[in-house]
Amino acid sequence: MEQDELYLSLSERLGKLSKFPKMRDDGKSISKLLEENGISRRDFMKWAAAMTAMLSLPASFSPLMAKAAELTDRLPVIWLHMAECTGCSESLLRSDAPTIDSLIFDYISLEYHETLMAAAGWQAEQTLEESIKKYKGRYILMVEGGIPSDDSSFYLTVGPHGQTGESHAKEASDNALAIFAIGTCSSFGGVQAAAPNPTNAQPLHKVTNKPVINVPGCPPSEKNIVGNVLHYILFGTLPALDAYNRPKWAYGKRIHDQCERRGHFDAGEFVQEFGDEGAKKGYCLYKVGCKGPYTFNNCSRERFNQHTSWPVQVGHGCIGCSEPDFWDKMGPFESPLADRLYHSVFSGLGADATADKIGATILTVTAVGIAAHAAISVIKKPKE
Amino acid sequence: MGKFKDLFVKRHIEFSPFYRWHHWIRFFAIMFLIVSGFYIAYPFLSPEMDPNPTGFLYAKGRTFHEIAGFILISMFMGKIYYFFFVKSDRDEIRSFKDLFSVKKGMKQIGYYLLIGKHPVLSGAYNVIQLLAYIGLYIMLLFLILTGLILYMHVYHESFLVFLNGPLTYLEVLLGGLASVREIHHILTWGVIIFIIAHVYMAVFNAVYGKEGTIDAIISGYKWEIPESEKLK
Repeated sequence: MEQDELYLSLSERLGKLSKFPKMRDDGKSISKLLEENGISRRDFMKWAAAMTAMLSLPASFSPLMAKAAELTDRLPVIWLHMAECTGCSESLLRSDAPTIDSLIFDYISLEYHETLMAAAGWQAEQTLEESIKKYKGRYILMVEGGIPSDDSSFYLTVGPHGQTGESHAKEASDNALAIFAIGTCSSFGGVQAAAPNPTNAQPLHKVTNKPVINVPGCPPSEKNIVGNVLHYILFGTLPALDAYNRPKWAYGKRIHDQCERRGHFDAGEFVQEFGDEGAKKGYCLYKVGCKGPYTFNNCSRERFNQHTSWPVQVGHGCIGCSEPDFWDKMGPFESPLADRLYHSVFSGLGADATADKIGATILTVTAVGIAAHAAISVIKKPKE
Repeated sequence: MGKFKDLFVKRHIEFSPFYRWHHWIRFFAIMFLIVSGFYIAYPFLSPEMDPNPTGFLYAKGRTFHEIAGFILISMFMGKIYYFFFVKSDRDEIRSFKDLFSVKKGMKQIGYYLLIGKHPVLSGAYNVIQLLAYIGLYIMLLFLILTGLILYMHVYHESFLVFLNGPLTYLEVLLGGLASVREIHHILTWGVIIFIIAHVYMAVFNAVYGKEGTIDAIISGYKWEIPESEKLK
């Protein structure tokens, strides 16, 4: 009966939302947009059912999900780019055919997105300022990229006013209704925050005091990005989060536990090197560096590119891209973590040292010491 | 052996049966954990080819590693209890009297460097030995905690679910699951080095000491020259 109550409260919320003014000028509805792009109502409902399942809601909630998708034009979204590669936007937008996810992203009231908007220079800056002013406390903020901060913030200087990315991010966060850090860079710092972090790049949650939902991944799948928007529209609250502020519905389980090659792992059947017999048979990629055992994400269930494939299916191990500091912690990417190199040992002298190598070296020194001590004590007996 | 012919020695119980059994179960658990742990880190064995998907070599390796781990945890807890609360084991706690004695510490190093005499001890262990054991137990504690974090993510329905909160806190503190696994691996090397040094020191003391210290961990008896004999 808890379910019924939830269903009622969600429908009530959607009812309220539907009374909000539409933000699109052309007044086109999502169903019309989908139809124009050759997606049938049936396909749309199938998609809604899949999204419902992904958010761990009962199947009976699918109509609500469809309705939520139709209402995505009621919430303004501001998307900021910090120090990044735009791969997260690309993940969402570049698909072989327009997907429902990417069409919904087209459909939402995207007030500001540097890659997609036509405006440039002064005009772009004005759009941002005006959107923040106009929708103050009502917009969803999505930020992509790490943020060079403090004394190094000048490394990211944007726009005609020469403002720093940090000040953009701060101002936009202060006035936002909900904040999503899209991708590993804005969630945890990503590649530009990897040692030695020359630009002092920081994740979004270090720059603002407001709660930030992290949607890491390099890039995160289109489903995880759109899923977060839909979750917010449906519930109006922040989702259940894990210890790293990642939504549990997407990052609650280990890649390893849902992996299609898991059977081979437990059986001890491993790919020894890329292109060998085991690789052809689809054996486990642990010995060629798969970091799935340390990574929490839904790639093994949801995959990428309209559920077509994902790295492990293609034959390369997971590199742990949705974990904090993965550039520093998950390397080397193509051998197990036991082969991790410790660069800092003896100011670079131990650059090729693994834990086992260092351990074996100390063990050898210990053994030599013991042998020497034993030999000397035979000649020079210890005093009683 | 002529030197010892007329020497009167006294036999006394150094280690109780509980202490000895604990020591050896701990030893075998640790040895098994080291070997199976290295296999888990880098699976160096390949199973016999079997057309039926029933030979779960790696899963078995992990299972036995976990079982040995739980045995070690139980031994660890038993030892902690024994150390603090059992009267016959007071000798261990008495060793702590010497812990901050710089003089005894220096003397002990002198003895090991073969230039000085062995200091008189207040308890069962000398300062260097005691420090090594404290180090071992700190390493074991962190091995157990990191092991439990790894286990928490392998088997989600265990009886340890009530620990998930604190363990997750520790996991984040240590820098994520990958770091936890690494710390687990590095600490194992610490334990390996400890074992080598520990065995050597035991043998060294058995060869040059007259108390029969290495026998004590099996039979429980140590041989001691009584004060009355020493005066002669």
